[in-house]
Amino acid sequence: MVYTKKTPWVLIIGIIMVGFAWLVSQGHLAGVLKELHTSKLAGEMVTMGYIFGAIGVVVGLWQLALPAKEGNFDYYVSTIGGALFILLLVFVNKYGLEPMFKLWGSASEKAIGWNWTKTLGVNYILLGIIVGMIVVNVFKVPHWAENGVRLSRLGLKTGVVLLGALYSAAELRHLGGLSFTLIGFFVLGSVGMTLWLGSRKKIANSMGGVLSAGMGVCGVSAAVASAPVVQAKSTEIAYTIGTILLWGVLMMFIFPPVGRALGLGYTQFGAWAGTGILNSAQVAAAALIYQPNGIETLKVAEIFNITRILFLPIIVLWLAVWYVKREQTGLKVNLGQIIVGKFPLFVLGFILLFALSTTGIFAPPQHYQGKYFDNSEKALIKKDKEGNVTSSKMLKDEQVATLTAEADKVQREDQKAALTRLIENKKVMSIDDDDTLRGLVNAKVLSKDANHILSEAHKAVRHTAKRVSWFRDLIIWFFAFGLTGLGMQITMASIKQAGGQPIVIGTIVGLTKAIGSLLVVYLLVHETI
Amino acid sequence: MSKDKFDRGTALTIFKNDRTEDLAALVISLIIVGIVLMTVAR
Repeated sequence: MVYTKKTPWVLIIGIIMVGFAWLVSQGHLAGVLKELHTSKLAGEMVTMGYIFGAIGVVVGLWQLALPAKEGNFDYYVSTIGGALFILLLVFVNKYGLEPMFKLWGSASEKAIGWNWTKTLGVNYILLGIIVGMIVVNVFKVPHWAENGVRLSRLGLKTGVVLLGALYSAAELRHLGGLSFTLIGFFVLGSVGMTLWLGSRKKIANSMGGVLSAGMGVCGVSAAVASAPVVQAKSTEIAYTIGTILLWGVLMMFIFPPVGRALGLGYTQFGAWAGTGILNSAQVAAAALIYQPNGIETLKVAEIFNITRILFLPIIVLWLAVWYVKREQTGLKVNLGQIIVGKFPLFVLGFILLFALSTTGIFAPPQHYQGKYFDNSEKALIKKDKEGNVTSSKMLKDEQVATLTAEADKVQREDQKAALTRLIENKKVMSIDDDDTLRGLVNAKVLSKDANHILSEAHKAVRHTAKRVSWFRDLIIWFFAFGLTGLGMQITMASIKQAGGQPIVIGTIVGLTKAIGSLLVVYLLVHETI
Repeated sequence: MSKDKFDRGTALTIFKNDRTEDLAALVISLIIVGIVLMTVAR
């Protein structure tokens, strides 16, 4: 079978992208960009427009000119049209719709005192998912784009693997214990609760088993991985997937506004989403809807999500023992083979990149959340060729005076000492001092002006590693691509599969998990800054 | 799109199984890491 469809659309998308990049690079759209407050994205628009546009033009011309031949090459090349279709939607959402919604939000704030786009978290990730859902359910995905849409999960997985490069050992020390405790409790709790409810409601053991893995671990993949252990029928897997998808999609839209209403910080929201949302893709979506222009929430959410996946072998073992005990069928299941065969390899990729990151090849090894500490003169003071100072991030005399005047307000000895060293040296002197002074800012002991000076002093000694910055930008694109494509896979047919007892049990367990994890996170998890 | 026994929703992929997709994600990531290491200074 030949998969590549003869269509002018790949070429047309390529021309649109190249044309857009050219218009931006020549300044013809400067007025529009200024109006939409997107001028700072002009460089990205040009680079991405030319790269993807060129691919579209070349592949589009080649597909029109030459007949496709059956084979692997044809199969994989047939995905390019769909991938470009998704990327075009990302362009429209990121550079057009999101800024327009922001403007409408600001206008509504002026008119009625409520910025609805801010409250609902309308951004290009959310818009991508919604537009994707509209495309697949109202218009249908064009036939030449179908194979490309199926690349979206590859995009998400690649994003997760690359995310490993952004973690440092310090970060994992901070989040690792917390995520293991929280995830351990909720994963084991959800599995146990589903199995218990399943036996109360007298559903088949195979149904209860596969549903419990889906509700407890990481959604669809866990359900598929545990299916052979509990001898689940395909209809039972379908019920489970429907329940998980229905819950995942609902939670993806509900979590961000609730988080915003409660004023959750990035760490808190990431921990909540990574624990409470059932499916990996929707965890990433909720985190990026909550914080579209940064990666802190996504990083926390993903470390929780990955911790959850690490529990998969334990759950598979548990289910195997549970199922054999209940059924006593004498069926022999090779547990080792299932675990080795089904454990998601991309999680190992994430761990590999994290291991590489701890060696310091991407950023100085002591970096925290992609930023490393450097208070050397070279980092703080810029000089021209003649050695004259052109800019300095050291504290100015008037800033020192402000801090000195307020120093008496500080009661804690460690904060007092760190502040004194800052005043004496006009710069933050160590990582510990930096952390202590950030705590002082959070405590709101000093005036707004003094806190602003402390924040500036903090920014002056924390630097983003260039490689980390590159990874961060790339990861955002992989997730934007994956999540827009994900929207195109949320079909009504897949959601309608949920039904009967599985949806009742799923609702009870899903709600308990979402509310329980919110309570724990809200009460016990605190921001580091 | 090929018809599955049931609609896997977000689990749709062009690869023949999840393991191949994971491997592809790993290979793409390592290529990107190599390019970033070679072209971007730390």
